[in-house]
Amino acid sequence: MPSGSARTATGTTTGITVAICRDPALVRTVRLVVAAVARRTPRDEEFVEEVRLAVGEACALLVGPDASQAATAGPVEVSMRLEDRLRVVVRAAGTVAAEDDPTSDIDGIEPWALLRGLIEDFSISRDDGVTELSMSWPLG
Amino acid sequence: MDLSLETRQEDGHTIIEVGGEIDVYTAPKLRDKITELVSNGEYHLVIDMEKVDFLDSTGLGVLVGGLKKVRAHDGSMRLICNQERLLKIFRITGLAKVFAIHGSQADALAER
Repeated sequence: MPSGSARTATGTTTGITVAICRDPALVRTVRLVVAAVARRTPRDEEFVEEVRLAVGEACALLVGPDASQAATAGPVEVSMRLEDRLRVVVRAAGTVAAEDDPTSDIDGIEPWALLRGLIEDFSISRDDGVTELSMSWPLG
Repeated sequence: MDLSLETRQEDGHTIIEVGGEIDVYTAPKLRDKITELVSNGEYHLVIDMEKVDFLDSTGLGVLVGGLKKVRAHDGSMRLICNQERLLKIFRITGLAKVFAIHGSQADALAER
């Protein structure tokens, strides 16, 4: 996928998948899409904001801050499904460091702190070199 | 929406009015602004977040980095924020206890 591009696909009648290059500028696109999906639930705008923040955060962690990787690293995929719950899976090849680089001056936040604090149902799995962040919310 | 940054001096402090979204893409611009101000000897900063629509952990990290920078010069960093959705992020991450968060510029500048 060329740098700066995004694609979407509807894999099932209840779901949508967005794939973006690892360009930090594209994380906002994912936030816009997931907010639109969250607005299809009966929940209020506070819920939409929570989902937008959580999925944006997960996506940003897997995209990383370095746009130069956009052309070489694989895409980050975000799958959203409206079933009994709103289920979102963010996945990408590679791993995310559990701690910040001590030499960085963008620091001080444990990467998972915000996600764990925001989402009751949140899990991380790593399999075959792919990191997957799964989260879900009740619809009512 | 991109990130907007406007700075001005008031009562011995440098106020940075931030607007838009502070995320993994835009946070480096805020970091660079804080670094520039500290390099110019401006160690008492007030970050006005009234017009911030979105804040993620990268943005929080920039604020923490900025706080460390000014404290290294015996300076201060105060935040202005009264949006519940942003305050919630500070509470979840424990940073509500780290930053002096005020509801208005007048309150932030009144603190001694």
